[in-house]
Amino acid sequence: MEAALLDKVRSVVGADHVLTGVDLSPFVIEGRTPDAAVFPGSTEEARAVVALAAEHAVPIMPWGGGTAAAVGLPVAWSGLVLGLTRLNRIVEHEPGDLTVTVEAGLTLGALQAALHARGQWLSLDPPEPDRATLGGIIAVNAAGPRRHLYGTARDLLIGVTVVTGNGAVVRGGGKVVKNVAGYDLPKLFIGSYGTLGVITEMTLKLRPVPDHERFVAVSFERMKEAGGCVRAIMASDLIPAVIDLLDSEAMRALALRGPALVVGFDGLAEQVDWQCRELVRIASGFSGRDAGPLTPEVAARLGTAARDAFPQPASVMHFSVLPTHVADTIEQATSAARSRGLVSAWAAHAGVGVVTGALASTRTQATGPVVSALDDWRTIAHANSGFATLESAPLAVKAAVPVWDDMGAVARVMQRIKAQLDPTNILNPGRFVAGI
Amino acid sequence: MATLTDTRKQQVRRELDSMLGRGGVLSDPDELLVYESDGLTLFRALADFVVFPTSTEQVAAIVKLANRENLPFVARGAGTGLSGGCLPSEGGIVISLMRMNRVLEVDYDNQIAVVEPGLVNLHLSWKVGPRGYYYAPDPSSQQACTIGGNIANNSGGPHTLKYGVTTNHVLGLEVVMPDGEIVWLGGKTRETPGYDVVGVFVGSEGTFGIATKIVVRILKKPQAVKTVLAVFNEVNRASAAVSAIIARGLVPAAVEMIDQLTMQAVEDAFGCGYPRDAAAALLIEIDGLAVGMETLADRIVEACRECGARDVRTARDETERQLLWKGRKSAFGAYGRISPAYMVMDGVIPRTKLPYVLGRVNEIVGAHGLRVGNVFHAGDGNLHPNILYDPRIEGEEARVVAAGAEIMKVCAEVGGSISGEHGIGLEKADFMPFIFSAADLELMTRLKAAFNPTNLCNPGKIFPTKKSCVEVGPVAYRPHAIEAKGLAQRF
Repeated sequence: MEAALLDKVRSVVGADHVLTGVDLSPFVIEGRTPDAAVFPGSTEEARAVVALAAEHAVPIMPWGGGTAAAVGLPVAWSGLVLGLTRLNRIVEHEPGDLTVTVEAGLTLGALQAALHARGQWLSLDPPEPDRATLGGIIAVNAAGPRRHLYGTARDLLIGVTVVTGNGAVVRGGGKVVKNVAGYDLPKLFIGSYGTLGVITEMTLKLRPVPDHERFVAVSFERMKEAGGCVRAIMASDLIPAVIDLLDSEAMRALALRGPALVVGFDGLAEQVDWQCRELVRIASGFSGRDAGPLTPEVAARLGTAARDAFPQPASVMHFSVLPTHVADTIEQATSAARSRGLVSAWAAHAGVGVVTGALASTRTQATGPVVSALDDWRTIAHANSGFATLESAPLAVKAAVPVWDDMGAVARVMQRIKAQLDPTNILNPGRFVAGI
Repeated sequence: MATLTDTRKQQVRRELDSMLGRGGVLSDPDELLVYESDGLTLFRALADFVVFPTSTEQVAAIVKLANRENLPFVARGAGTGLSGGCLPSEGGIVISLMRMNRVLEVDYDNQIAVVEPGLVNLHLSWKVGPRGYYYAPDPSSQQACTIGGNIANNSGGPHTLKYGVTTNHVLGLEVVMPDGEIVWLGGKTRETPGYDVVGVFVGSEGTFGIATKIVVRILKKPQAVKTVLAVFNEVNRASAAVSAIIARGLVPAAVEMIDQLTMQAVEDAFGCGYPRDAAAALLIEIDGLAVGMETLADRIVEACRECGARDVRTARDETERQLLWKGRKSAFGAYGRISPAYMVMDGVIPRTKLPYVLGRVNEIVGAHGLRVGNVFHAGDGNLHPNILYDPRIEGEEARVVAAGAEIMKVCAEVGGSISGEHGIGLEKADFMPFIFSAADLELMTRLKAAFNPTNLCNPGKIFPTKKSCVEVGPVAYRPHAIEAKGLAQRF
């Protein structure tokens, strides 16, 4: 990178907020070191940095807490990490409006603490809340078990401020909970992996903190029965906030027996009690047993139970299938891995069909069986009318197994959106689907 | 965009006839008249053709023909829109989807349905109702409006407070792109890789293509429902109660406000049991588990009483509940008894700004020598001031238009939006700069170019016209021909 560009960047954000050399070690991804990490102190500074990068055709890698930085393909060539952690203010919280406007670098944990003090919360519970920033959560569409009832970023994000690839500050949506003026720009940036713009500020819908919440685990003899129980719960009058399905490996990570369902309820005490009783009644029809409450600490680890089953998983794959196919997908994928001599662990947000599978690493570290198992898994996902994303794997595996599914005809639409919003292709080039 | 010569028009007509068969094409000016406007009747524009395809392939063939002839085209559902969004404002072809109205598939276990765009919103709930399910988005026009039209407008309704608007219930779309290519956006699963192209398509007001199959979520009907009517002697107290309910950690399914003028009109027309002498009433509905329903209702009653409600009562049975809702949903029709015409506005504000904004609305309308009735989704802060007037009085319509523009400016000033559910269409295109900067609009233009580079797909909508200035207001309401004959009613 030209020294002149770095000097210009320093003059925008201040020399203290530009890291180079050995200070870049936290930002090394897959063995690749960026040229510098730049930390703007305002949306305007972020805009100026992106404009400079665009002028010099240098890639920009937006960076929040770094919790999902390795998801996707590594950026094609070296560039600038644009760190958002200095943008960490709560701009506006009006409890009566059930909305909050925050800067993108604020961590979810810090936001929840501030909201809790006023009886509210953001109904998103992705892993690592103390590291994950709101901008990053939106950019990778991260969610957790409570998405079953409360949805994901697309149900909560109502306004967004972004810096686009051509160095413009753009606001989409607004601060009100209902709004159909113009195109729904916030949706565009959710799950876009930093390829369409750098999110610097956002407005989110909030909910009141429920009076009570309880998570109950029920064990089953076989995965199939747990799957049947999910179907019965969905068809019942219960209104669970969580229906997670975990295999025995993932449950072991929580020091519990599996396969099991973890079902969460919230609301008035009498509502939680009644629903827990109903759950036990329904589960008994599927030979569910040993129902017991989970502590909040264990409940907080549900979202990462599959990958936590192994000290260093060889690979993690994320699936989206129809809810009724979850148990079958897990069973088929488990035996596919086993036939390659590999152990796997599984956790699913079963009511919405979102499944995570992790492969244990082998003693030989050979990639062949891992690649074969992941190929099998993707085939199983497609056969269950779903999708698969290779969420985490060494580069050698990513070289053999595509990170993203082939998008088919819709790829062209997405490529045209990318070309319109980032014409010089500097925002995370090559990281995302369809070569975007 | 092309204008067809008479000879060419006849050739195109023949080609459309052979594509769609007899009865699938209209081009006689008398027949086209029915399609010259939507629910906002001041804007009128005639198409060259109105066509009625019955399959995705036919829609794609029509769109390809339009591209070849360089003719603009626009999709149309039931025509209940309130912003002129489905008008053939620059001639060309209106593609009516009313013959594509089937429920193609219902998967109860996965709680999804696949439907065609011309399906009437309420008909989906009828179809899945016997099995205990329903389709949640409930615009007041749901007896007539189509799900395809709901997709275009990202329609809401009273129960969106708890359950969200259309976009929260759509998983996938089969779309005929503006160049005629058939593409699936999203699917049946909750997540699909890549950009959320479904999320940006919903609410794009027909400018990104034509949805020909729609995958929607269906929900289990709640175990129990309770409806509360809270009556206030001051509008400000009713507004305060809305915030007080929220502050108590309650998220009702719906919180609707009805003002005195509206209650009187409703009582004159239907006798639904609203108090004629109160300044405002809140219609509050909670739903969910039967267990705890009484406790939650008590909390709502308490919040209303603390804010000075003079009377709070709960609907005793389903009949009384239906009667209260009938009053709410028929309010627009009831205005007909007290005024020859009215204009419905649609704006959104942060709900804590309700007392201030309602006061400003009254001031503005009063200053123009007009009356206003308010009946709206108070829980979401989605206002519907209805300005009453007499079009026969010289200059009155112009004052309505001016007042409407001022109200939109107030919504923008308090951090709100110029549309909560009716859309921008033709009506509010010139108001977009109230809330969006030039850079914001430029990004929207770029997004549109990604889907619709030739601009043949519903041109002239959403974006401000260069020639007009922002002081040109929205247009006043005039009854549609079928409405004047009493064949249809506005909600």
